[in-house]
Amino acid sequence: MAVAARPMTGIEETKAFFSRGIEANMDALYGTALRLAGTGADAEDLVAETVSKAWSAIGSLQDRQRFRPWIFRILHNCFISNYRRAAVRPQESAYEEDDGGGVAALLNAQPDDFLIWWANPERQFFNNMLGSAIMQAIDGLPEAFRTTIVLVNVEGLTYDEAAEALGVPPGTVRSRMKRGRTMLQKALWEQAREEGFASPQTGTGREHE
Amino acid sequence: MSSGKEDHGHEDIGCLAAIEAFYAYLDGELSEPRAIEDFEHHMSHCRSCFSRAEVERLLSERLRQSGNSKAPEDLRDRVRRLMDEF
Repeated sequence: MAVAARPMTGIEETKAFFSRGIEANMDALYGTALRLAGTGADAEDLVAETVSKAWSAIGSLQDRQRFRPWIFRILHNCFISNYRRAAVRPQESAYEEDDGGGVAALLNAQPDDFLIWWANPERQFFNNMLGSAIMQAIDGLPEAFRTTIVLVNVEGLTYDEAAEALGVPPGTVRSRMKRGRTMLQKALWEQAREEGFASPQTGTGREHE
Repeated sequence: MSSGKEDHGHEDIGCLAAIEAFYAYLDGELSEPRAIEDFEHHMSHCRSCFSRAEVERLLSERLRQSGNSKAPEDLRDRVRRLMDEF
């Protein structure tokens, strides 16, 4: 950054703040865009569009401490407006967002084999699991769950920040984490089965009834 | 599976309630001391839930590690050029 010979004007100061915020979040924005849009080219366009839109909307940033959820919200909105249709990914419409039945209903909907494995999965599978395999499992999740897990578990946003970024109440983030992580475990279990780690075990049947 | 019973004066919340609180606990989002205490109490004696929590913790770590996408240099240049025009 150039050293200013005179005090910065308001607009220069805002621009310097904005640039620092973008630079600091660039990798996380790109990483999230990649998981949302699916291809590198779309992810780059999505980030560039986000930066343009964000600068136009800088007046809407009330609290500079909330730059991170604010910029992720713009990224998410840009994705919904312009990229969602192009992304060949499972959509949330095919899944129940509401988990009114609670975790019991969620678990009862899972196969017994999965529940037995989940209670005692092979550590070796997790130790050997490649980052690319985890990303593949994430990419297979419906959008709402994928986005929430990426923001919270991959990019490190708090539940409050993720809720602000997604424009949903914090309780929805909490509920999506439960459902999304269970779906992720199930996807990994399916991978484990294919790779021979999740061998059929004898069990006493459904645990959570 | 344990299902909510008294244990030395501490009521056990049971597996379902523990799983309900799983991710909030692991993500550091469980803030009420009583809820944390109840969860940890259940974990201290339920092998199944303890095992699940360990695996979820391992998976959380792997997810965090996988968040190392680097924005390509040409994207950084593109964004810098864009911001120069503001």
